[in-house]
Amino acid sequence: MPLYRIAGLSVSTDLELPGFPAGPAGPADIVIARAPVAGALEDADSSGPTWAMKPGRFLLAVPGIARYLLRDGAAIDYQPEPDADPGDVAAFTMGAAFGVLLHQRGLVVLHASSVCVNGKAALFLGPSGAGKSTLAAALVRRGYPLVADDFCVLSIGGAGGPQVHPDGALPKLWLEAIEQLELTDRRLRAVRGRLSKFYVQPPQGTVSAPMPMGPAYVLREARAPNGPGIERPNIVDAAHLVRSNAYRPGVVRKMDQQALYFLVAAALGNADGVFHLTRELDFAAMDDVIDGLEAHWSVAKALETAS
Amino acid sequence: MSSLVWLASYPKSGNTWFRLLAANLSAAEGPVDINDVPDRGGIASSRGEFEAMTLIESGLLTHEEADALRPRVYEALARAEPAEDGAGPRLVKAHDAYVTTPAGEPLLGGARAAILIVRDPRDVAPSLANHRRCSVDEAIDFMNSPKASFASTRRAQPQQLRQRLLDWSCHAASWLDQTDIPVRLVRYEDLTAAPVETLRGAMAFAGLAVSSGQAEQAVAYAAFDHLRSQEEARGFAEWRDKGDGRRFFRRGESGGWRRELTCEQVGRIEAAHRPMMQRLGYRMQDEESSVPQMTEGVFR
Repeated sequence: MPLYRIAGLSVSTDLELPGFPAGPAGPADIVIARAPVAGALEDADSSGPTWAMKPGRFLLAVPGIARYLLRDGAAIDYQPEPDADPGDVAAFTMGAAFGVLLHQRGLVVLHASSVCVNGKAALFLGPSGAGKSTLAAALVRRGYPLVADDFCVLSIGGAGGPQVHPDGALPKLWLEAIEQLELTDRRLRAVRGRLSKFYVQPPQGTVSAPMPMGPAYVLREARAPNGPGIERPNIVDAAHLVRSNAYRPGVVRKMDQQALYFLVAAALGNADGVFHLTRELDFAAMDDVIDGLEAHWSVAKALETAS
Repeated sequence: MSSLVWLASYPKSGNTWFRLLAANLSAAEGPVDINDVPDRGGIASSRGEFEAMTLIESGLLTHEEADALRPRVYEALARAEPAEDGAGPRLVKAHDAYVTTPAGEPLLGGARAAILIVRDPRDVAPSLANHRRCSVDEAIDFMNSPKASFASTRRAQPQQLRQRLLDWSCHAASWLDQTDIPVRLVRYEDLTAAPVETLRGAMAFAGLAVSSGQAEQAVAYAAFDHLRSQEEARGFAEWRDKGDGRRFFRRGESGGWRRELTCEQVGRIEAAHRPMMQRLGYRMQDEESSVPQMTEGVFR
């Protein structure tokens, strides 16, 4: 089965995962394979409209696409619904099941895109629709290598400070963003046949190796009373921001892993920091946003050199 | 039983005002900050709530696929919000018409009841034009279109889930004529003319007994001039200020259409919506001799 390298893990799967980087041969950390999946999870101790969980098991159903059983943070069984498109099954495997599996594995997973700045991964955090992919794509156009499109795993406690293990995925952009960022000639296949959302080929490819954690920016739309700019929230707010930008914060709560995110928030605070990046959600403002970020990075670099 | 109650309305009909009134009922330290309203309501079309409940990336779903899941989300929300003595309802804003999903079930299932706020469509039109930054005629086109919706683009990911509004008349009819949940009709005009009584009646319907003192406080704290001056001072988080001088809290009055609309515009609205306007007690221009009468209760 093909191997991929995703978030620092080697993933073996019988699905084609477009947009994700191939990995070296060797034993797999995670196996994703087609297998029968029951419609219900017995003895579940928590459930929602599309999911049920108990220790070591997580059942997730995407209606019309597939049912997924996540086992012990190490395996995803998927059973496609009749007539489901295989590309759709792959898209939801990575857009729903995989991130939850990483939570089940006990990893710290942030909902973030990322680019490489001065040898470190700068993270852009926010929920779906916050503009993570678009901002990362705009930074790539300015020459910053892409590190992650949708999620990053963080590890702390190593010698080099917090490390980022990126998804290494190609950016997924809506047609409007592709046109506004003038990336039409880099447009690849659609993420799903029925969506005007496409993979885009970055000129420098993507980075999938772990790298030191840089600054983390929580994306926020400029709405009263918060005007555009970059500011550093206090340490309590920063801890809350990191936790609420877990890939699936509700799952983190249900799995009782909040303490992990406080530790990570503290580590980030001691490293390059957690910030609010507040900006207009308007393509016309994008150049100003990037200028602001570059100014922020040059100040940080000057301080680092001075110290 | 759930405490979930829809606060349903066509856009620009007083939904935000009602929400601020409700939030000010128990404000202990002066008027609530319009940018920090201590309610847990939210809006039915929130992507965040949808994803928190389903764990599915909503940006991977078509509008129709998201619609198919929305009833499950609201049922789960309703289960998570049991009615508790004295806690009051969880009022959740919804601009969607009461429509059905591709599978034929009500999109907005799960709630215990709904408060429907309506406003004279001739006053909605200029307010909607301000909100959408379009001409009044374009706002009237929108109100007359059976396909009108918010967040319906397929070329980008709108911040909210797609909301089908239908035309102005059908929006009101969809809520008033459904028989799944009890609905309380609140006219913006009654909220303006008799705010204390109207607010108390609506909150009692939603399951919260409100004293006249509380209602009077809320009406004073959420008076239009106060809301407007808060917006002038610090802006309003639910409004994109584009520096063009437009404000969310614009006039907050009833009957402004007599100054703001041309005869032709009034004619277009009345021609398209006469039966529903009459049902709701709004007089046509040519039959106006007195102000609308105070109305009470549910129109069926």
